[in-house]
Amino acid sequence: MTMMRDVLAQFAQVMAVLALAPLLQGFILKAEERVQMSRGPSLLQPYRDLWKLFHKQQMVPDTASWIFWATPVIAFTAMLTVPLLIPVLTDYPLPLSNIGDILGGGLILTLGTFFINLAALDTGSTYGGIGASRTVMLSILAEPTLILVFVGITLMAHAMLPFVVNHLLVAEPAIYWNPTHLFLVVAFFILLLVETDRLPIHSSTHIEVYMIEEARILEYSGPLLALLRWSSMMKQFILYTIFCNVLTLPWGLTEIGSALGLLGASAAILLKFLLVALVVVVVETAQARLRFYRYQEPLAAAFLLAVLAIVANQI
Amino acid sequence: MPTLHLSPLATSLFSLLAIASLVLAFVMLGSRWLKDYMYAFALQSWLIALLSAAMAYYGSYPELYLIALLTALFRGLLLPYLILRILRHLEVGRELHEILQPSSALVAGAMGVVLALVVASRIASDVGPAGNLEVLALTVMLSMMLIGFLMLAIRHEAISHILGLLVLENGIFLGSQLLIPGMPLLIEVVILFDLLIAIACFGVLVRYLIAHVGTTSSLRLKRLVG
Repeated sequence: MTMMRDVLAQFAQVMAVLALAPLLQGFILKAEERVQMSRGPSLLQPYRDLWKLFHKQQMVPDTASWIFWATPVIAFTAMLTVPLLIPVLTDYPLPLSNIGDILGGGLILTLGTFFINLAALDTGSTYGGIGASRTVMLSILAEPTLILVFVGITLMAHAMLPFVVNHLLVAEPAIYWNPTHLFLVVAFFILLLVETDRLPIHSSTHIEVYMIEEARILEYSGPLLALLRWSSMMKQFILYTIFCNVLTLPWGLTEIGSALGLLGASAAILLKFLLVALVVVVVETAQARLRFYRYQEPLAAAFLLAVLAIVANQI
Repeated sequence: MPTLHLSPLATSLFSLLAIASLVLAFVMLGSRWLKDYMYAFALQSWLIALLSAAMAYYGSYPELYLIALLTALFRGLLLPYLILRILRHLEVGRELHEILQPSSALVAGAMGVVLALVVASRIASDVGPAGNLEVLALTVMLSMMLIGFLMLAIRHEAISHILGLLVLENGIFLGSQLLIPGMPLLIEVVILFDLLIAIACFGVLVRYLIAHVGTTSSLRLKRLVG
C-alpha cells in the first residue's frame, strides 16, 4: 500500500513539473511587464503558445539528420527524469530516487543541453553555430562553479542526496544560517540566473547579436519546437525546485504523500516560486545586460562564493 | 596562542564579522570604480570597529572600546573622507588598464583564500590545540593580506595602491584583534596615526605626480629622474 502510494507520489512529482512549468514562465514574464508599468501577457500565455505550436505543421530542413529529430525528445525526456531524483513535493525519498544523486541530476540536465547543441550544429545554419558556441562558452564558465556548489553542499551535509540536505536544513537552523550555506545560496542563485536565461545574461530575444538559446533552436518549428520550449521551461522549474526545496526554502513539503498533502505541497511550491521569481524580476529590472566578454564577471563572483563556502565549512 | 573562552553566540558573531570583512575585501578586488572601492573599505572598517567593541564586551578588555571608537572614527570616517577628497582632485573615476580583469582577480583571490586556509591550519596545528575561531582569524588575516598584495600588484592608479595598503593593514588589524586582543593601547594608537600619516604623504605625492608627471598611473612612471 505504501509502495503504491509512493509510486503515485513520484508520478505526481513529474506531472507537477510538467503542468506547472509554463505557469512559472508565464508569471515571470507577466511580473516583468508589470514592474515596467505595462500590462504584460496573460499568465496562461505559455500554455496557449504550446497549444498553438503543437497544432502547426512540422517543417524539417533538408540538411537535418536523425539528431534533429531525436534532440527534442531526448531533451524532454531528460527533464521528465530529473523530477524523480529531487524533492519536488515529498520530503522523503521515493522508490527510484536513489538511482542518482545531485551530480546525477546535474548530468541529466546537461545531457539535454548537450543534445540541443548538437542539433544546433546539425543543420549547418550559421545561427545554430553561433548559439552552440556561446552556450558552450557559458557552460565552460558555469560548470566549475556548479560542481563546486555541489561539493560545498556535500561537505556541509555529508551526503550527496538532496533529501538529506533538505532534512538537515529543516532540522538545524544553526546550519541554515551558517556562512557556508548562505554563500552556497548566493552562488547557486547566480547560476540560476545564468542557466534560465535571465539578466545579466539575458538571451531570449530575437536580435541576432544577443541570442543564445533562441539561435540554437531557430531551425525548429511546430511540435518539435513546442517540445523544446516546454523542456526549457521545465528546466527552469527544476532549477527553481532545487534552489527552493534543497537550498533556500526547505519547508512546506508533504511528509506522508497523501493526496491532500501533495496538493498542499503543490500550492506551497507555487508560493515559494512566486517569492524567488519576484527576486529574479527585481534583478532583471535593476540589472543591465552584460556584454558578451563580461559574462565571466557574475560567474567569477559565484565561483568565489562557492570557494568561500567550502573554506568557511572547513574551519 | 591564548585561547579565549567564548560562548557559542559570541564565536558565531566573531566569525560572521570576520567573514563579512573578507567578502568586502573581495568587493574591493572585484570593482573597477574607485568610489565603490572606497565605500567598501569604509564599511569594512566599521565592521572591524564592531568586532573590537564585541571583543571588548565579551573578553572584558575595557581599553578596546576606545580602540573601537578610534577605528570607526579614523578608518571608517576620516581616511575615506581624505581619500574621497583626493579622488575629487584627480578626476580618475575608475581603473582603466588593469593587468588582470576583475573576474580573473576574483578567482586569483579565491586561490589566495585557499592558500591562506592551508597555511592557517598548518600554523594552528603546529602551535597546539587551537579553536576554530583562531584558525578563522588567521585565515581571514592571511587572505586579506594576500588580497591587499594582489591589489598592489595588479592596479596602476596611485589611489588603488593606497587602498591596497589599507586593506592589507585592515587584515592585520582584524587578525590582531581576534588573536591577541590585549595588545597595549599605545601600539594600536600608533598604528592608527601611522595610517593617517601614510594617507597625508600619499595626498602630497598625488599632487606632486599630477603637477610634474601629469598622471597618477604607475604605468607612465618608467623613467628615472634625478
